[in-house]
Amino acid sequence: MEQKSWIRKAFSVFSRFVLLFICTILVTLALILFVIYGVPVLMEWAPMQKSEILNNQELKKEPVYKKQLGLLTKDVQRFSLKYNGYTSGQSYIVINTTDNRFSLYTNKNLIREGSCSTGSYIMLQASSGNKKWIFKTPRGKYWIHGKKTNPVWKRPDWSFVEEGSKIPSPNDDSRFEYGVLGDYALTLGDGYMIHGTIYKRFLGMPVTHGCVRLNDDDLKVVYNTLNIGSKVYIF
Amino acid sequence: METEKNTKKRFGKVTFLVLTGIISVFIIYYSIMSMISPVRKMEEIKKEFGVKTTDKNGVDQQIIKDSSYLKLLKEKAFLQSRIVMAESDSIYVTLNLADSTANLEISGVVVHKAKMKEVKTSKILLKGNENAILSMLATPFSISHAIATIKKEPVMIKMAPKDTSEYKPDIMPDTSITEPVNYILEMNDGIRIYVYQDENVKLNDRISHFTFDIKDKLRDTWSALKSVAVFKVPEYHPFIKIRLPRTDAKIIYRAIPKNGQIAVFR
Repeated sequence: MEQKSWIRKAFSVFSRFVLLFICTILVTLALILFVIYGVPVLMEWAPMQKSEILNNQELKKEPVYKKQLGLLTKDVQRFSLKYNGYTSGQSYIVINTTDNRFSLYTNKNLIREGSCSTGSYIMLQASSGNKKWIFKTPRGKYWIHGKKTNPVWKRPDWSFVEEGSKIPSPNDDSRFEYGVLGDYALTLGDGYMIHGTIYKRFLGMPVTHGCVRLNDDDLKVVYNTLNIGSKVYIF
Repeated sequence: METEKNTKKRFGKVTFLVLTGIISVFIIYYSIMSMISPVRKMEEIKKEFGVKTTDKNGVDQQIIKDSSYLKLLKEKAFLQSRIVMAESDSIYVTLNLADSTANLEISGVVVHKAKMKEVKTSKILLKGNENAILSMLATPFSISHAIATIKKEPVMIKMAPKDTSEYKPDIMPDTSITEPVNYILEMNDGIRIYVYQDENVKLNDRISHFTFDIKDKLRDTWSALKSVAVFKVPEYHPFIKIRLPRTDAKIIYRAIPKNGQIAVFR
């Protein structure tokens, strides 16, 4: 009998403890949820003096109003004209390095779009020494510096390092490769180019060392459309 | 024995009441301080950008509240902001909340257009003092820092082979990987732009969205608690939350420079 009552007591204490524990957990959780989710909502409910917007017809007849509105309209027209003037009426190309797509424009109209290949974002580290190269297509506004037909690729140092071969002298015969850049190349400065490729299956993928590769047909159209000085927008 | 039990019970009750009281007072205090923060932010914006007119009830005061005037002022502010950015030669973003478009531009040329699927704006930007907000929007926001679920530059390190025998040509990159794209762009004046991918089809996407969001909320709560603990009003961050298709969200994040600029039209 006494043992039974002791068990009952122990059970009662234990169940109280469990209940208290559960309550504490629930209250703490509710508090955390309130602080994390509730308070930001309360912040948006904060009383704020609402901005008064009028549509007073009497005011519209006031000469001061007419003058102010006229000045503002002129400003808007001026800024609008200035802004529209930024988009060149001449030909330009837009290159999307995330999706590896290009769009060619003439007179603000899209005339051709398609796949291209841009920088792979591979950082090549030389096996000896601290030399590093990062193969990315630079983003921003560029322009065509030069146009070449049947371009010859003069292999830079990284091209030899990448293969594990020795770097030859600057004008060594092994530096010059024919036919790998396609029929045309448009130079963008700093060694970057828009050119053709023999790796057509990689078009639409980020695989280059920084240049922009196009397929033969697209390259021909781009070459014939863009002139030296034409803008190249890369993003 | 009985009195000892009663004392214990009373002590328990008192402790419970004191604890509940302390927690309730703190919650009320925290909530009030948090609710003051957007009001204070609006005051700061008003002080910095608000129109100062001398005649309180005159024509000037009425003109700046006129709907046609404000509409033109909105357009002017957006154009001014875009011109400033276009002259910088850098890549920038324009968010037009009125027609739900997010454009990527370089020197005034729209290079990429994206359609926003959902836009949420904080009350301060929607209903705050119109003139102050518009003159704030007349200069572009600059990104001070960003938090994202994707890398800005997905650089992979490759060690060069020691000789030609070790050389292996590059394999085709795996373009099927579609990591969730969510990011927060915090502007120099405290405004935050939240960009979430619209697609939440896979469980992985949902989990990523949830954890990304909760981490942000915890960061904010922690910083607010720290301020409140020293009797300071926590900082309020007006926000613009947008949902974009995953590819567009990725393109914008990867293209915009670290300290890039953003213009907003609302």
